Amino acid sequence: MSIVLANVTKRYGSQTVVKNVSLEIGEGGLFVLLGASGSGKSTVLRMIAGLTTCDEGRILIKGRDVTHLAPQPRGTGLVFQNYSIFRHMTVAENIEFGLKIRKVASVQRAKRRDELLELVGLTGYGDRYPHQISGGQQQRVALARALAYEPSVLLLDEPLGALDVKIRAQLRRSLKEIQRRLRVTTLLVTHDQEEAYELADRIGVMDRGTLLEVGVPEELYHRPRTLYVASFLGGGTVLAGRVANGLAHFGPLSLPIPAEVPHEEGASAELLFRPEHVILSSDPPASNGPVLGKGRVVEQTFSGAARRLRLHLPHLPSTRQVSPAVAFGEQGIVIETSIPASAPAPADEPWVSLRNWAILGQAPPRLLVIDTGSGPLTSLHTASALAGPMRASVIVLGYARGDAPEDFRDTVAHRAQSAELNEAEVHIGTSDLPIQIATESANTLFDFIILSGNPGAAKAGLKPDVVSFLEGADTPVIVVAAEAPKRFERILICTRAGEPGKNDIRIGGRLARHLGAQVTLLHIQQPELGEQPLARRHLEMASATLSGLEVQNTIRTYPDPSPAEAILREAAKHDLIVVGGHGPEVQSLFSRDDITLQVLMRVPCPVLVVPAE
Amino acid sequence: MNPPVSVTTRRLHSPVFPVSMLVLVLLPLLLLPLAAVFIFAFRGGAVAFLAALKAPDAQFALRFSIVMAFATAAVNAVIGTFAAYVLSKYSFRGKRPLNIVVNLPVAIPTVVVGTSLLLLWGPIGLLGRLLEPLGLQPMFTPAGVLLAHLFVTFPYMLGAVKPLLDELETTYEEAAYTIGASRWQTFWHVILPALRGGIFSGTLLTFAHSLGEFGATVMVSGNLRLRTQTAPLYIFAQFEAGNIAGANAVAAVLAVLSFVIFFFLLRYAVRPTRAS
Amino acid sequence: MVFKRKALLRRVRALAPILFLGVLLLYGLWPWLPLPGRPPQPQTVVFYGFSILGEVMNKGIFPAFQKEWAARTGQRVEFISSFSGSGTVRNQLIMGVPAHLALLSLELDAQQLAQARVIPPESWRKLPHQGVVNRTPFVILVRQGNTRGVRDFADLTRPGVGLVHPDPLTSGGANWAIVAEYGAGTRQNGGRPEAGRQLLAGIWANVVAQAGSARAGRTQFENGFGDALITYEQELLYDLGRGKLKGEIIYPHSTIQSEHTLVVVGRNVGPRDRQVVEAFRDFLWSEQAQKIFVEYGYRSVDEGLNATNPHFGKISDLFSIADFGGWTKAKKEIVDGIWKKQVLAKLKR
Repeated sequence: MSIVLANVTKRYGSQTVVKNVSLEIGEGGLFVLLGASGSGKSTVLRMIAGLTTCDEGRILIKGRDVTHLAPQPRGTGLVFQNYSIFRHMTVAENIEFGLKIRKVASVQRAKRRDELLELVGLTGYGDRYPHQISGGQQQRVALARALAYEPSVLLLDEPLGALDVKIRAQLRRSLKEIQRRLRVTTLLVTHDQEEAYELADRIGVMDRGTLLEVGVPEELYHRPRTLYVASFLGGGTVLAGRVANGLAHFGPLSLPIPAEVPHEEGASAELLFRPEHVILSSDPPASNGPVLGKGRVVEQTFSGAARRLRLHLPHLPSTRQVSPAVAFGEQGIVIETSIPASAPAPADEPWVSLRNWAILGQAPPRLLVIDTGSGPLTSLHTASALAGPMRASVIVLGYARGDAPEDFRDTVAHRAQSAELNEAEVHIGTSDLPIQIATESANTLFDFIILSGNPGAAKAGLKPDVVSFLEGADTPVIVVAAEAPKRFERILICTRAGEPGKNDIRIGGRLARHLGAQVTLLHIQQPELGEQPLARRHLEMASATLSGLEVQNTIRTYPDPSPAEAILREAAKHDLIVVGGHGPEVQSLFSRDDITLQVLMRVPCPVLVVPAE
Repeated sequence: MNPPVSVTTRRLHSPVFPVSMLVLVLLPLLLLPLAAVFIFAFRGGAVAFLAALKAPDAQFALRFSIVMAFATAAVNAVIGTFAAYVLSKYSFRGKRPLNIVVNLPVAIPTVVVGTSLLLLWGPIGLLGRLLEPLGLQPMFTPAGVLLAHLFVTFPYMLGAVKPLLDELETTYEEAAYTIGASRWQTFWHVILPALRGGIFSGTLLTFAHSLGEFGATVMVSGNLRLRTQTAPLYIFAQFEAGNIAGANAVAAVLAVLSFVIFFFLLRYAVRPTRAS
Repeated sequence: MVFKRKALLRRVRALAPILFLGVLLLYGLWPWLPLPGRPPQPQTVVFYGFSILGEVMNKGIFPAFQKEWAARTGQRVEFISSFSGSGTVRNQLIMGVPAHLALLSLELDAQQLAQARVIPPESWRKLPHQGVVNRTPFVILVRQGNTRGVRDFADLTRPGVGLVHPDPLTSGGANWAIVAEYGAGTRQNGGRPEAGRQLLAGIWANVVAQAGSARAGRTQFENGFGDALITYEQELLYDLGRGKLKGEIIYPHSTIQSEHTLVVVGRNVGPRDRQVVEAFRDFLWSEQAQKIFVEYGYRSVDEGLNATNPHFGKISDLFSIADFGGWTKAKKEIVDGIWKKQVLAKLKR
């Protein structure tokens, strides 16, 4: 193995930019680390080069542990995105620099330099200065310079990022050729999946510090295991259904699940198919490939060699669409496909079937519960009541202001168990609540955060840190006050008419689906404004969205001078209230007559505060 | 039908008026005084001019000033580049106050600089009195003059080199490190050449300022003829003693030297990265 | 061919600043470059003196010594000198100016230097004549024609007579003048201190201008200030000898003779300079040097030589500072005690 990373972690302050990354690159292989900006891929590269220190884990190059070694003795060759070739030296001097440092005699240096100039296709350019050659040529010089002293590994940090598209393609080809010829172990970091496909022997996809999947390009494209990798490597459609009897069911379709994909009875499963995997036919398809139904072409776009089509299909029972994002008010399924431009136009309502597909592993929902270690177990009970039907994984954050007593962890663990959260992880934190939650969120993406408001909420008002946390949260927060219902059967969604209300519907609706609860859509009209057609339309669209999620819902709307009072009245009949948050820009939660705050303070059942879009 | 062009519109587009206004302002301020120096210097004709320059005191003063200027530029080139490197490449507590401190000499009146040096290194000074028994006394000697000039011109080299260092992307150095160059090798082969332009203009600026330095020099030098009297001090002393021709001869030489230096400075500053 | 020339020209233009600086540096360092056939650097002696010494040293003593030294050793010696009020010289020495020797107007300044640890105490007493190089009595200069009819110090107390007087803070001459005025008063009145104080008060009531040194006072007088000036005899004799004196010299009946003390600032004399500095020191008491002093109007410490200058005036009662117990005592009692605390305070100056 040429490069081995074992559990490598890097933190900057409270942020972990590289989480526990392990990978191996074989001798002579070209490995591409693919990811969006901020995913930590460049940091991994720099740690291998020795330019960034490693907090945990080990790095081995050709069997030698270089984890704590300075960059100089590691014997790596690095090519940067901005070339960084030495501007005051000629091309030849740049290339020879590494050899000069190693005290190679000038005759041999010249020979090697000419070899490299030939290799990168710049013979005769030796006497030019960097400002006299183009960007692509400069990058070639950078490459030659890095290869001159025969490094153990070649590292490239988004080498083609600063170049034009055409030059990029040229250089890509050269790069591949050179790597093949020299058989030097190479690690290339990029965010461009085209590049990855063309160059890589193997690809590793990173997201927010974690190495999600590693594999050969074809495998990752056709059979990704996670949604992120699937969408990063190409377009397509993702539908979510349910696992029953060992098969994944999407309405009438039942598909086998491959062995390597984790699945659980009753859990959700996701189906992925790429645009080119879709077959359109005017007659019902005879093959035994899965049939999705009869679709309607709603959009056609010219795209060079192909034509892109968008089709609407009727809703498949017990299925919802994950990707492409469902428009507000849509009930059915949207599918994207492409056909060669030369192909005949499809029928208006073709049959849609699949020639290929993949089943993705589904990550279960994750909950974060805050427990202070004393007082009633309301938030823990709520978490338990939600986790069950959602099959969610739970992390309990024991939070103590100031010094935590010795056995705090045990206390919290014990409490969690009494709330029947037997498999919850227990974490302990002592800094400010918002900071603590941010730290946890950095490591895990939570679907819901559950915490207690002031137990005496009815009289005294909410604790200030809870309020300030709600102001800035970007995850849905469930605030539990006095009671924790054993079961959630009726959910009240208080929607404002207009844009801000969409998130409330989506998240509230999803929660309802998980819990199998019914939803009441409540909209309080302001009497002065009278009947509003826009509001009406919004409510209808909301209802349609909920129906698409297979959530039973009713609409209630009437005028009332005091919206807070009206909500409180309705709330009495429900197990959970969903309201919208305000987002960090508007500091209005502190205003006394803010509706959300009033509801939070006076309603007895838990309140889900959904962050603004 | 041609639209009428008013006189005022015509004036707005032609540069004649503003330029002549500028020259009118500059005349009494800069141009005429400088001309006066040369006129007085050559009052007695070229022969008298040369005789005044040949006076041993004048020769000493000119040479001393030039050597001091070179020495100041050389020492400050090293110290200034080092300071620029530390302030640019490292981050540490107190970086911002340190940045302000290194630029202080520009704000302090030069006479105050001279006084403070005397109070530190002079025979009654805080450190000077410790040097007494060792027989070392930097004040009233060329060493003292050098100290004063280094102090006063320190920010100039720093100011010329630091921006170049700031601009240099970190990957520049990192490339050298991964190739295998040590910190020192990187500095010498990679960074220093990139700073050539800044060091050059910094040197010229330092040189020019040292050449003309008066306030601090008059305090620390003791104005001893043939020992520590720089050209500006010579000009002042000769003027006081009534030898106007002699003073102006040296003044004229200083003026010409300064012109030449700034000529080079401007030319070089315009094209800093020519391959040369 | 054209190509090459253009490239060459460009090269030259690029190198022009370096060439220019190189030439400049060479010019600057030239005298210090150790080239063969170079005459060696001359030795230098740094001499500080009180204000009126300027001419006699620059025009007489220094050239004479340079000649003698060249004859004796074949080497060149240069003098670096500075002249200002004796008090100023004292302050400069304390500040640390690298003087090798200093000729002060009064022994008091030497004592103060010893106090400031610039020189060892009483070190000058070991020199010939207790360190006194030359002397001169204090006399009165009036305008041509003596329209005020000044005959003696007492006449200066008359109302309407304007006096130019140097400042005792910086001028050695001023201190001598005060003791002269006081001394004349007491000695002419049976030694009564009261009489001295009265004379001082009377004189000082008429002071219209003060100067930083005796020489500066002289300049003021020449520029039209005052009717009379109390100063060193030498100052006036020098101009008289050249026919340039504008005014008349009045010799008081009773006056003081100033004695000028030389100090050698040992700590400023390096091993290289020691020989020439000591030679110069000794030279000052040589017959040749003393003759030059007399020529310029100073009274020599060798009485025999004083006859050669016909202009030395006769003074009936010539006293010295020893008559008042030395400078430490005189400064405390007369200058600070009587003049500053009583006379000046009364005059509210």
